[in-house]
Formats: sequence, structure tokens, C-alpha cells
Amino acid sequence: MTDEAGPRPLTGTTILEIDNPDAGPHLRLAKALAGKIVADLGATVIKLEAAAGDPVRAMPPFLPAVADTARRSALFQFLNTGKRILKMPAGATARRDALTTLLGASIDGVLWEEGDDDASAIAAATMPRVEIGGWPEGMTKSTPLSEFTVMAVGGLLDIVGDPEREPLRLGGHQASYAAGLAAFTALMAGLAGRRAGLATPPARISLVEVMLWVNWKAAAGAFADGRSPTREGGRSEFQVVACRDGHIALVYGVTQFDAVKALVGDPRLDDPRFATRPQRRSCGEAIYDILRPWFAARTRMEVYELAQGKGIPMGPAFSPFDLLDDPQTLARDFIAAMDDGQGGGLRLPRLPVLWNGRGFAPVAARDVADLAGAFAP
Amino acid sequence: MTAFRPMSGVRVLDFGLLTAGANTSAMLADLGADVIKIESGAYMDPFRAVGARDTAPGWWNRSPQYHFTNRNKRGAALNLKHAEGRRLVLELAKSCDVLVENFRRGVLERFGLTWEALKAANPRIVVASISSQGDTGPWRLHASYGSTLDATGGLASLTGYAGGAPTISGMDVNYPDQVVSLIATGLVIAAVMDARRTGKGALLDISQREIASFLIGEEIMAAAADPARRQPRRTGNAQEGVLFQDCLKCAGGKWVAVTLADTDAAGRCATAIGGVPHTGLRAALTAWCANRSADDAAKILVAASLPASRVMDGMDPLRDPGLAGGTLLRGDGGKLVKGMPYAFDGAGLAIERAAPDLGEHTLEILRDVLKLDEAEIARLDGLGVTSATPDTP
Repeated sequence: MTDEAGPRPLTGTTILEIDNPDAGPHLRLAKALAGKIVADLGATVIKLEAAAGDPVRAMPPFLPAVADTARRSALFQFLNTGKRILKMPAGATARRDALTTLLGASIDGVLWEEGDDDASAIAAATMPRVEIGGWPEGMTKSTPLSEFTVMAVGGLLDIVGDPEREPLRLGGHQASYAAGLAAFTALMAGLAGRRAGLATPPARISLVEVMLWVNWKAAAGAFADGRSPTREGGRSEFQVVACRDGHIALVYGVTQFDAVKALVGDPRLDDPRFATRPQRRSCGEAIYDILRPWFAARTRMEVYELAQGKGIPMGPAFSPFDLLDDPQTLARDFIAAMDDGQGGGLRLPRLPVLWNGRGFAPVAARDVADLAGAFAP
Repeated sequence: MTAFRPMSGVRVLDFGLLTAGANTSAMLADLGADVIKIESGAYMDPFRAVGARDTAPGWWNRSPQYHFTNRNKRGAALNLKHAEGRRLVLELAKSCDVLVENFRRGVLERFGLTWEALKAANPRIVVASISSQGDTGPWRLHASYGSTLDATGGLASLTGYAGGAPTISGMDVNYPDQVVSLIATGLVIAAVMDARRTGKGALLDISQREIASFLIGEEIMAAAADPARRQPRRTGNAQEGVLFQDCLKCAGGKWVAVTLADTDAAGRCATAIGGVPHTGLRAALTAWCANRSADDAAKILVAASLPASRVMDGMDPLRDPGLAGGTLLRGDGGKLVKGMPYAFDGAGLAIERAAPDLGEHTLEILRDVLKLDEAEIARLDGLGVTSATPDTP
């Protein structure tokens, strides 16, 4: 299903990805993800790495078998698949000259990070350009941000975790990655406009805005009720419960409580206190006290199969390691092998799409020495 | 729509439901596409019922959730359970560039709207088929909500308090549902560009679970390469490679979120809070925060060039339009509508059409797109194919 032969949808398109030496990792990860997606879709993506090196090369998690310290970061390897990496010269004038030359070449689109010293050179170009920024346009951009504080401002921290405890961040790099997906779509919109003969205005992504956008139900709830929904922890209708060998997310539709009762078969669930959804929402903890022993007596896969058999949308809390070989990811070749050029094989997810049944296998980033190498077919 | 309309001239047959599907076609509409949302009295977008706030006739047109995600579209009622409805949809597909759907697997097949049938009707069509587990594989029929995908996609195993259970984003955000349209829209645009160039459409088989797992790609890569990472780590708000990061409770009960990336940042923090005793930075910062409001604490830490913020909630973007940026705007009748996750030339979204009432544009679609005459339209109405009243109250 996954193959490397034949042109990909963006083959023939060339994108510049400009690293701003002063940008924080929250911006870098967002921009790198957008560049990775277009590279895996077949575009020639030239990543212009700052002379001092990309700090993501030193960010965890690490690959213990990779000896080269510049390539041992799994984060760096994941975010730069398919790219050609060109080191920019040190010194402001030399960088600006190199950038101007590159922007004058046949480039179809640009991804860049706010605050770049050479922003005016990027602004003077006419191809689709997507700027990755932190705050919404018009807010004080000098207020420093991290991915974590982006989640705080966007309200996502407030909504995850237990009400009695501190707000909780989502794992991984979701504040940056959600923005990276938005940057990818903005770049595609720009490319489509250009191909249709339209003037392509510069696009801007704000990490804070993307987080607010993702968390729209908080604002919608606040607008409707005059107060924001917040984290419910043990009082939530949906909870993670322990099974004999792991955990499962106990999720069910508003009309499926009877199906859950049939699954568990405990007569205490027939209590009239649980008859309607508003009643159930007010005594979630009592319901979960009854449900827990049934789950604890079974494996998560037993529960998964029984629940799915009744159409109840429960699912085990799989770990990244579990995902490497579950029947579904195997059947769809979702985990691809990649030669990192260091003698060690790596395994990582391909793009989350099958295109006429074809998956796009990622290939490791490679360094190019000069402009000729960057543009070589 | 935006002033910039790269999807102008692109017509979308929209079977998108709830967030993942309906928002993908909404984002295409915002970029200038002519999006025709197909529902019927027999099957409506569930958001019409989920968000219903009253039971008077027409309740199905008043759900805030539905209005949040369906602006700038036209809406037609065509019952796919009726053979005539299926025939008309295949006719419509001939003049469409894109079809977006996120039905449960098997539904489109049951209606005869397979990829093969659609491709035969229109070789240039791009079909974005968005599903829980993808269109193939042994788990293709599995049901999921967003919170299920937090778990099955792997994100929940990396989210949680130290020593605690895996944690899902929960029903008030369903994070994995929200990110789907951010990538699916771009994939559709790439396929439309390709179809314009080659004359050939594409089936985009988009798995929501794969999107969720893709967003922890580096963790999957590391778990494959490093036996020490086979057991997932849950560390609360701490982050590998970051010296200190957490939420601290302030006077008044609000929380402040603080990231101290390295020892340099920790030094600035220590100075800002008036020094750190031998009890260490966490204890000192905890005590310092407890003596001031979250906004004051954030202000002092930000002045020391440290990322810090009060933990905000859904009320904040309503109070502060500058913060909301382009993410929220007022649509028809003052209703709140989801904006765009990007801006072109600094401009946000314009609502040119409110979300359509059920069947609002059936007549104009039948007449102007399918070129049906009045007798035929009346016949379809008589058969109930175009009924726009919900079958069940």
C-alpha cells in the first residue's frame, strides 16, 4: 500500500522553509510540521537552517542507536522528512544576500516565522507566503510564549484534567502541531490561488488563535450559558477506566446508556436516579463506582470487542508502542520504515491519508551543500 | 468568505456531519467554493439535534453548534433512502469537483455512492472520505467519538498527572475531532489542484485515528527505536527537555501557567520573585503565586521575559475581541460563528450566507444546477424525496 514510486500530488512544487534564528521552538515545530506535510506529498522543500543550527536537533525524544548527535532527535527526524536542508551563512548581510537569491529563484511558496530580521525581503516577494506567529495580529507580540502558555491562553488547559487539581496539558506538541496543520492548509490555498491566476495575499497563522479555534466549544458554551465549560474529571460522562491490563476510554452516545447497561449487566444501573441524561450527568461518580469492577475484571481488548460489537464507541488507551503493530495500523501500512542513512532503520507514521489507496512513505531529510544541490532534481 | 477566493469555481457536494466533516467543507466554502450541503428529513446533521435548545417547529434550524460550522453553504434536502434521491445525487456529482463525507463506513456503499460509481459519473471528482479508522482494515467499522480517538490514537497515554491514568481531552473539546478539518481541507485542495492538472480525481481515505497518531509521530518513532520508551510517560505539565513547567494556584483560586525553559530562565524567575530560598524554586514559586492574583503573577513573570499566563477559559475570548482575533465572529442575528484558523492579508472571514435551514436551497439546486422543470420538481416533492421536515421529532 505504501510505495515510493511515481509522482506525488505536489511533485514539481518548490517550497522554501525559512528558519528564523531567534524564533522559539513553539513556532519552529509548527512551521516544520507544515513543511513536512508538503514534502511528504512530493514537494521539493528546502529548509534554510540557521548557521548556528536548528535547536530541534537537540530536543527529545532521542534515538539511542543514532550516533550522529545532529540526527539523533526523533522530533527533528519526524518533522523534517523529505526535506533538503541548506545551512545559511553566518552574518546578517550574507544571510540576507542568500535569502534574496533564493526568493528570486523559481519558488512556489514560503513558510516563515514571525520576527525574522529579513522579513522585508520576504514581504517583497509575490509567491504565496505563510507566516507562523504566536499572538493574534494586533496583540503585544513581545509577550513571550511557550507551547504550554499558548494552551493556557487558548483555554485548552482549563478543560483537561480534574477540577480539584491543576489544569493539564495534552501530551506531545499539540499547540504547535495544530497550528502546523492550519499552516499547511493556508499554503495549499495560496498555491491553488496562484495556479488559478489570482494575486496571492500573505497568510498568517497565530498559535493562540488556532488553539482558541480548536477549543471553540468553550466559547460556544460560555456564550450560551454565561459561564465556560471547564474540566470535569471524575464527574464527566466520559472517563478512562482501568481494565485488567491497561485502560479504556468509556465513551458512549447520549442514547446508548441502555447499551452500556446491557454490556455490563449490573442491575444497580437500573436505579431510577440514572433514568435520564441530566440525572446521569449529576451523578457520574456513582455510575462509575458501579461500572469500574466490570472493567477491572476484563482485558482492554475484551472490553473493546464487546463494546464495539454493540456499537458503543469505546477504545483502549493505546501507547505509541502499541500503535506499531495493532491489526488496523498493520493492515493500512500506517507505520512506515525509513532509512536514516546511519545504518539504522527507523519506524514512523506516514501521512494520515491513503490517496487512491496509496500511502506516501516518508524519507529522511538530507543535507545539501549549496543552491545547486537544493534545486537539483 | 475571504476576499481571497482560491476555491472559486469549485463545487462541493457536502455530506459532512458534526465537526470533522462539516467543518472541512465549511473551510472550503470560506475560500470561495460553492458548497451544497445535502441532508433530508430522514437524516439530518446530528448537530441540528445535539444543540437544539427548544422543541417548537423549526427547532432543527436553530442549534448553535450547527450554526457554528455551516456558514457560507447552500443546503438541499434529498433523501438518499429513496431511489430518486440517490439518482439525483449521482447527477449532482457530475457537476461537482469535490465530495466530502464522514458517514459511518458502509452508509455511502449502501446508497450506491461508491468511489467506483462516483468516478464513473465524474472522473475529475475528489472524494474526501473521512472516517474513524479509515476505509480499509479489520477495524474499519469501529465507532468512535473524539474522546475515543484520544485513547486509540495514543495521545491519552501521554496525557495525565504523574503516576495517574491516561487522560482524554473530554467531551467539551474532543480534540481529535477538531484537528481533522485543519489537515483534511489542505489535502482536498492539493487533490483539486492535481485533478485540474491531470483531469483525474482521487479518493482521499482519511482516518481520524491516523491523524491523532500522526500528531504524536515523534513519540511513535522513539517508542520503536528505544526499549526504554515502550512504557508511555505521563508527567503532568512537565515536559522533557524543559527545566520547569506547571500551573500554580494563585490568590482567588485562578491558575497561572509558567514555562522555565532552562537555568537562565530559572535565574530570571528567581530574581523576579525576590529570590529563592533553599526549599527550591517550586516551593518558592508556589508560595509567591499564592500571594497574588494570576494576572498579577503573569504580569511580573512576563516582565522578566518568561512565558506565563493566567489559565483562561471560554469567557476570555468573549470579553476580549483582540484575543479572539479571527476565531470568533457574529453571524446572522448576533449568533456566534467559528472564524478561520488563518488570515489572508490580515483579513478574517466574512459571513455571506448564514448556515442553511434544512432544505433551504432545494428548489434552486434542482432548477439551476440539475435543470429540472417544475413538473419534475413537483413529482419529487410528491414522492417525499425532497421533504425537509424531520421524520422523527
